[in-house]
Amino acid sequence: MIQKKICLLGGFAVGKTSLVRRFVTGMFSELYQTTIGVTIEKKTLLVGDQDVTLMIWDLYGKDDFQNMRESYLRGSSGYILVADGMRRSTLDTAEALHQLAQSTLGPVPFVLIVNKADQLKEWEIDEATLARLRHKGWLVFTGSAKTGDGVPELFVQLAQKLLEAA
Amino acid sequence: MAPPSSSDSSSDHLPEALLKTLGLAVLERVGTGDTFRLIGNPPLWWATTFKTSPESPIAVGPLAPFLQHFLDESETAWRDNHDRVVRSGPWSHRDLTSILHQFEATALTASHRALLLIERIDERFDSIQQLLQQARDQRLHHIDQVKTHERTQTSLTGSLAIATQERDDLLALLQHLDLAAIVTNQEGRVTFASPRCLAWIECPSTTVIGQPWEQSLPIDSADRKQLRQAWKAAVPQRSRHSIRFAGTTPRWIDYEIHEDPQSSERRIILLHDRTEVHHLRQQLNHQMQFHDLVGRSPAMLQIYQLVRDVARVDSTVLIEGETGTGKELIARAIHYSSPRKDRPFIAANCAGLTDSLLGSQLFGHKRGAFTGAIDDHHGLFESADGGTLFLDEIGDIPTSVQTSLLRVLQEKEITRLGETHPRKVNVRILAATHHNLNEDVIRGTFRADLLYRIRVARIHLPPLRDRRDDIPLLAQTLLGQVCAATGKAITDLHPDSLHLLMTYSWPGNVRELKSAVEFAVISARVACLMPSDFPEELRHTQRDHRPPSSQESQHAEPKAQLLKALQQAQGNRTEAAKILGISRATLYRRLLAHHIDVAE
Repeated sequence: MIQKKICLLGGFAVGKTSLVRRFVTGMFSELYQTTIGVTIEKKTLLVGDQDVTLMIWDLYGKDDFQNMRESYLRGSSGYILVADGMRRSTLDTAEALHQLAQSTLGPVPFVLIVNKADQLKEWEIDEATLARLRHKGWLVFTGSAKTGDGVPELFVQLAQKLLEAA
Repeated sequence: MAPPSSSDSSSDHLPEALLKTLGLAVLERVGTGDTFRLIGNPPLWWATTFKTSPESPIAVGPLAPFLQHFLDESETAWRDNHDRVVRSGPWSHRDLTSILHQFEATALTASHRALLLIERIDERFDSIQQLLQQARDQRLHHIDQVKTHERTQTSLTGSLAIATQERDDLLALLQHLDLAAIVTNQEGRVTFASPRCLAWIECPSTTVIGQPWEQSLPIDSADRKQLRQAWKAAVPQRSRHSIRFAGTTPRWIDYEIHEDPQSSERRIILLHDRTEVHHLRQQLNHQMQFHDLVGRSPAMLQIYQLVRDVARVDSTVLIEGETGTGKELIARAIHYSSPRKDRPFIAANCAGLTDSLLGSQLFGHKRGAFTGAIDDHHGLFESADGGTLFLDEIGDIPTSVQTSLLRVLQEKEITRLGETHPRKVNVRILAATHHNLNEDVIRGTFRADLLYRIRVARIHLPPLRDRRDDIPLLAQTLLGQVCAATGKAITDLHPDSLHLLMTYSWPGNVRELKSAVEFAVISARVACLMPSDFPEELRHTQRDHRPPSSQESQHAEPKAQLLKALQQAQGNRTEAAKILGISRATLYRRLLAHHIDVAE
């Protein structure tokens, strides 16, 4: 069996823990509870004909109160950048974390999900911005931990990329 | 070696007791791998979290994925840098019953022994999390507020843009309609003045906005009073007549005052520039009316010009025309257009007076000149000195008086009855008659030389039937006058009524028309004069009703009718003439024709 460590990176309250919970347990809670430190969840996927166990490191959100520890990233085979569609600034944070991950891990696979697609009318991140990122070669998803839209695809896509990179 | 003292023994047990109190699990590395052994008794949570035997060496990596990661991170500290203490930071792990707990691990070297400390930090974690949660909730709330403010700002900016567009459209509309507007608040202060309004009152908006509207408008006190009453009254109100805006370009303005639909205490004052209309109306009035004469038919316009012409000179003028055509009005117009306008205008009716009475009236008399002459009396010529004497019905004066009159015209002097010395007088004579004086001269009832003296200039007034186009204007003017006199609010003539007036032959001319309008106003029950309001004879007379000749008109009223009118008027000849719709002079003439005693 293949086991891979992946990290979820993003600003605070973008929905990292909710995405992991939706993916691992299929549940969602409206109550926002900030993450401190690290919570590790595990889920096995069948990718092609291979079982891949993802060790999902749900890291605390980056903000003025908590800075990302590079050491948490070590050993990651890939990462998921998470942004909140309703806050333009969280995309900037995701891009900064991407730089940090690249310098720490090198060119490992990653995907970006812009979360909270259930409130698309409130979004500050427009399609042109996402198109710009796709143009840079980023794999960009839009989805919602609340509705589950795009969540399994996100992890499966990353798992596929991890296998391709291996 | 000496056995440890009791104090040494308690010292040996102190770290263990301390670790137990702090709830720390302390593990010592065995060799260089991931195998550790517990030092002392582990805290109570250890057994519910990890399946290990306290006595056996423990492979720590498999206990939790995070610990495996932490061992890798701590390796350099244990191997190379014994002074370094590595802290894991908080991490979560589920116990054997799947309850999530928070832990923190520390790697350090003490007395050359590689140690791993694992602490369950649930309580400390909760308080830190609570604090951080609070801070982040506040941050999210702040972000929400900023977004709400931005959204409100965007919305307000949009609304402002729409309002500005609407305002510009409205102003363009006002501009297109040639309207100016003022909006006032409940205190009567100006809150808005359109650019056109500001241009009219020749003030910048800064001096108008916030000021009481009355002070903002360049109007006189009478207009201000009118406007103030309208502003205070229940709205909407329209101007009764134009008000005048003073300024470098004076304007005549009509106004409408409306209640602001948004607030009943606010007023919208719409202003219309009627200057051009005012000027045109003035010109029209000038053409339609000359002194008290009304009419714009070619014949009347010609007469107005003739009046202006004769007013400039001092010649005697003979005014001819049927009864009721307005001969005295012509005489007054000549006088008040002439240089004598500030001196007296005296009208004398020569009909129906005896020689002596007329002579005395015109020239005056000395006391005792005749029976009843109890005092000196100056005549109308002396009274009119410097002015104008209008001799109506001159064709009816007795021959003896004609002679005296001729002398006055020739010598410019009069002699009172009973006196011998003449008196100089400076009087302009205007005479009027309904007679054909040429025929009178042939008959020998009027002196030819006097005729030539009085007929230096002559004005012939056409009968009303010959200037029917003036009837609507005359009727409307007379209606206005009668309503003003009677206080009745009748504003219009029904088209059928106008048709009636246009088809009637009007033997009594304008005087008869005035009587008919008076009659109709008295009879009217609604604000419009209906045909049924007018005297019956108008409604039963054919259009081609031939006007009576002067001879016929003398006898137009049968004797019985004259007597009846006199009876109704209780002998008052002026009232009787009014009842019959004829002048007092005509009444006298007809009374004489019917041999009715004319003595008062």
